[in-house]
Amino acid sequence: MTPVHFSFTSTFILGLMGLAFHRTHLLSALLCLEGMMLSLFIALSLWTLQLEATAYSAAPMLLLAFSACEASVGLALLVATARTHGTDHLQSLNLLQC
Amino acid sequence: MAYFVSLFLLGLVLGLVAVASNPAPYFAALGLVVAAGAGCGVLVGHGGSFLSLVLFLIYLGGMLVVFAYSAALAAEPFPEAWGDRSVLGYVLVYVLGLLVIASWFWGGWYEGGWVVVDEFKELVILRGDTNGVAMMYSSGGGLLVLCAWVLLLTLFVVLELTRGLSRGALRAV
Repeated sequence: MTPVHFSFTSTFILGLMGLAFHRTHLLSALLCLEGMMLSLFIALSLWTLQLEATAYSAAPMLLLAFSACEASVGLALLVATARTHGTDHLQSLNLLQC
Repeated sequence: MAYFVSLFLLGLVLGLVAVASNPAPYFAALGLVVAAGAGCGVLVGHGGSFLSLVLFLIYLGGMLVVFAYSAALAAEPFPEAWGDRSVLGYVLVYVLGLLVIASWFWGGWYEGGWVVVDEFKELVILRGDTNGVAMMYSSGGGLLVLCAWVLLLTLFVVLELTRGLSRGALRAV
């Protein structure tokens, strides 16, 4: 294992742990998802660059486009939550009432 | 160059520690900006200058600006930075865990990882990643069309989610 591989692997696992444990805001959860997507982008790019499989380097771009879709839907849910509940605490999403 | 890449890798991991340790969303967005900038440095260190440019302009310039703008919806009177006790506890736990795992791999680092793409070529006109991304428009055209279709679909999903007047997907908005 190289230090580069260790870094992006630990970055992905850190984002996953931050998403799984103790989120108070919905926006914090979305930011952790974005961190996971960032580590996936870097991992795909490094795979391309280290193996010199340069025909593969369109894959990080497509991943970035799908990541933009995920981020926009997440932020739309954030806006809708802020309009229905007045806040974006995940605690208030568990109340099953508006 | 390996020292620079090591520094950027450290910035990447510490940026994600700053995001994952549950601070207020203002500071979490700042940590993600640091992580994205350090990721650009890592990609430049490996020779992927075009992918790094895309990451910097699209990701950092487009998406994270929207995230920082949306941080206004998560406003708090007393936002927690990394110095507060609960956040600092998570920071210390994550950093200690990373150090333990890194010491587990210590001494067994495979040193062939510092390759730069196209470094051993004599004369290159375009960098390898620029060529590869340009192939998205020729042989990767199907995925390009799929990607455009997904983005268009996402536009309508967002418009339905945020539509008011009790007509959208969420009726109580």
